[in-house]
Amino acid sequence: MAQKKEDNGEAIAKSMFEMAKLEVPIIAIVIGEGSSGGALALGVGNKVLMLENAIYSILSPEGYSSILWKDSSRYKEAAEKMKLTAKDLYDLKIIDKIIKEPTGDEGLKKIANNLKKEIKSSISEMNMKDKRQIVEERYNKFRNM
Amino acid sequence: MIVDKIKKRNLPEKNKKIKIDIPVGKWAKCEKCKEIIYKETLRENLSVCPNCGHYFRMHINKRLESIIDKDTYKKFNINIETNNPLELEDYPKKLKSLREKTGIEEAVSAGTGKINGEEVVICVMDSGFLMGSMGIVVGEKITYAVEQAIEKRLPLIIFSASGGARMQEGIISLMQMAKTTSALTKLDKAGLLYISVLTDPTYGGVTASFASLGDIVLAEPGAMIGFAGKRVIEQTIGEQLPEGFQTAEFLLEHGFIDKIVERKDLKNTLSKLISFHKGGEK
Ligand SMILES: [Zn+2]
Repeated sequence: MAQKKEDNGEAIAKSMFEMAKLEVPIIAIVIGEGSSGGALALGVGNKVLMLENAIYSILSPEGYSSILWKDSSRYKEAAEKMKLTAKDLYDLKIIDKIIKEPTGDEGLKKIANNLKKEIKSSISEMNMKDKRQIVEERYNKFRNM
Repeated sequence: MIVDKIKKRNLPEKNKKIKIDIPVGKWAKCEKCKEIIYKETLRENLSVCPNCGHYFRMHINKRLESIIDKDTYKKFNINIETNNPLELEDYPKKLKSLREKTGIEEAVSAGTGKINGEEVVICVMDSGFLMGSMGIVVGEKITYAVEQAIEKRLPLIIFSASGGARMQEGIISLMQMAKTTSALTKLDKAGLLYISVLTDPTYGGVTASFASLGDIVLAEPGAMIGFAGKRVIEQTIGEQLPEGFQTAEFLLEHGFIDKIVERKDLKNTLSKLISFHKGGEK
């Protein structure tokens, strides 16, 4: 969700609020560049998966260095510091699973298969749970962050 | 970026004459009308310029003093520290020096207190502490306050003043938006009243989480409220934004807030709203 003409802070808040109440399992998957409130607005999942080479962060590295160091040209340094890779975020317990992205022949197909496998197993795991558990587990996941 | 702008506005005035002529600490200069005001006068006037009516940003203690009945504020005993998740070298040092300079522990204070005799859970943010930014400590205090409101069945009041999520704690700060928001779904389910009071400035991840989710959203006159800064939005969309965009008055007109309340009337307005909703039921 990009910042549009209307200032969408309230929309992000309401999106998270509604997601937090949903009684069905939510799987959020970071597949590219996810940053700031726009990403989180769709990120309040029971499971948060992430492609191996995707990034997920508080802000773009350019924005981050501009705010923190008043110098947007230091974006490379910011990217190093910010812990925005799948591996970093897995270690920080922000995401639940890293989806491998093999390259080479039929790489894309393999990625899609890996993703499919994870989505299926997440769904079957969560299907065992009742509504209350689904909401409560999602709550606790973010409560402990 | 909005934070740059806000920080710049907070810098001390560089007027040499003033620096020489006026004893440090006793006087303040109004950034709007440039009048020099005796701090004690300003204090008695709830940090509103007696000359032009400009609202100075309020220190947590002054805000609490202006809203909560004398000697009734009990701060929650929450002892958590950030673990500096990005391992930034100067961040812990910065926090330490800010604590000494501002006399407050973090960008929010949370506790219980009475407003004209009505017991409430109250959180007050302070933009003087790292721009009132929300990291894990702020997120935790707000969340704990929401949980306490549910447990004690009390109305919740949050005074926001923040540049948004705290950059120094990276993604952990971002997650505080989800944490505080999720907690508010429980307050909502419990049928308890939440009044959000937006003060200058309220931006970023705070606007995009608990600050926008009040059953009733009030704001102080002239407060700047938004998600991204005006300049950033203009650059992104390549268009000029209308005059007054992101002011409390503009937001009132567009239905994002319910009422603009003058600082001197806030306490009585809050206690009236609370007594209308007495018993905590919506
Ligand atoms: Zn003035």
